[in-house]
Amino acid sequence: MSSVKGSRRLERRGVSLKLYGLLIFIYLYLPLMVVIIYSFSPTKTIVGMTGMTGKWYVELVHDKELLKAVLHSFEVGISAVILALIFGTAGAFFITKVRFPGKGVFRALVMLPFVLPGIIMGLTLLIFIKNLNISLSMLTILMGHVSFTTPLVMFQVSARLQRMGPNFQFAAQDLGATPFKTFWYVTLPMIRTALIGAALLAFTVSFDEIVISYFLTGTWTTLPVYLYGMLRFGLSPKVYAVSGLILIFSLSLILFMTKYIGRSAEEFKVKR
Amino acid sequence: MELKKSRFDPPRSYIRGAPIILWLLFLVVIPLIFTFAMSFYSSEGLMIEKTFTLKNYRVFFTDPVYSRILFKSLRLALGVSLLSIAMAYPLAYMVSFKMVRGRNLLFMMCIIPLWVSYLVRIIAWRSILGNRGVINTILLAIGIIQEPLRIFLYNRFAIAVTLTYICIPFVFIPVYTSLEKIPRNILNAASDLGANEFSTFLNVVLPLSLPGLITGFIFSFIIALGDYIIPLQLGGTQGIMFGNLIWSQFGVAFNWPFGAALGFVLFIISVTILGLTAKFGSTEGGFLSE
Repeated sequence: MSSVKGSRRLERRGVSLKLYGLLIFIYLYLPLMVVIIYSFSPTKTIVGMTGMTGKWYVELVHDKELLKAVLHSFEVGISAVILALIFGTAGAFFITKVRFPGKGVFRALVMLPFVLPGIIMGLTLLIFIKNLNISLSMLTILMGHVSFTTPLVMFQVSARLQRMGPNFQFAAQDLGATPFKTFWYVTLPMIRTALIGAALLAFTVSFDEIVISYFLTGTWTTLPVYLYGMLRFGLSPKVYAVSGLILIFSLSLILFMTKYIGRSAEEFKVKR
Repeated sequence: MELKKSRFDPPRSYIRGAPIILWLLFLVVIPLIFTFAMSFYSSEGLMIEKTFTLKNYRVFFTDPVYSRILFKSLRLALGVSLLSIAMAYPLAYMVSFKMVRGRNLLFMMCIIPLWVSYLVRIIAWRSILGNRGVINTILLAIGIIQEPLRIFLYNRFAIAVTLTYICIPFVFIPVYTSLEKIPRNILNAASDLGANEFSTFLNVVLPLSLPGLITGFIFSFIIALGDYIIPLQLGGTQGIMFGNLIWSQFGVAFNWPFGAALGFVLFIISVTILGLTAKFGSTEGGFLSE
């Protein structure tokens, strides 16, 4: 009798929890929907919205500065991904394959750009750059982006290496493969999906980054910095259209990414 | 002696660490050292006086304006992390324990907002809370109010709402991971012994998920404490937080040495808190190490 009662109470609690969960999902997704709706609204408001228009999106094509910023974001993103793949993969091999003293501290230091507030990375890099008398340019933004994408790649790859264990490499070497051949024919194919996933993740983060970039940007701007500049003049339909494009682009990258990154929570780490 | 030798690889193999060590030196360690050094300089107009002085730290620790802003930011960060937990924990609990089907999809749905442009999410909240924003438009249309309310935007409320929004996934991931690791037969054992769901939660689930919870708490705390874009965009005159105080030293005020000192204070606070996670939190959600 009491157990029936108990289970009924349990179910009810499940329902209220699910309702609460639903509310939080609304909190999470409503803002994104608002941006999309605004970007298609013919007037500047959404109440009494009579139809949909793509004209704000069409207008973007004529904004030369905007197109330049988009191009810049791709340039920085792709370069940052390539550099992060090099540094991060090398770092992952170093930290999983080589036993050296102070590994814990080393690992914590490498994770710093990832876990510290972006403002700290931004200002330390800015001070460093100014001390070297380098002027703000694409290079300085790229430095910022390589700082936080590298730990990201390193983490993904070292997680994969650890799960793989060393036996495959041992086997290859026992069969007479050189270290290079072992890497090329055995290790690389096994970490390939981790590399692709990490690259996509790094690009997504780089493409959206503003906190660090804002410190390191001169006249050469990336898309988020350009969008931030547009905000000075208020929320125009153009702002919404750019936001809508970024949103759609990020979402498609994410969907693409899920093919490569395991669905285990452990493999999802990202800074804002 | 023998033992020691076998614990580490020979030093010549450390050469494999060269790329990542160079990266670490040039993008992390040396910039931090430069910042630390800069925090002992002083600013003379637009020039930086490169003589050693403790002036910046003295000003920070003696002028109540600065400590007040720091404490205000710490309080806000605490509130934001608690709010994020109040939202993300039940969500993680629901996805992990209550869902039979569609768990992976729901998990993804909780994580996706994390990757959607930070700036776009800020813009979204500005458009929801603004004078001609969604809330006001709806309230006006229904006829509850005649004039747009100005209470939503440009205050601490707006900062808190947006920061919480940003922080939820950062709490969700480590909590969900630690919940998933709880063996389900322990829960059956608890209910066989007569515990109802609530006492099972309190005595079994919560303690076992505590490391994940601490990690999530600390990450949202650090994010909320260090953010400067959200206070700039949504804070208005009430919105001077520690983050944009630091930012203004590099922008408007042009006092880099003081900014470096403030940045270093934030660095020490963050590293201390992160050290605590390493000790008490989980590495789940893997923010610190694998």
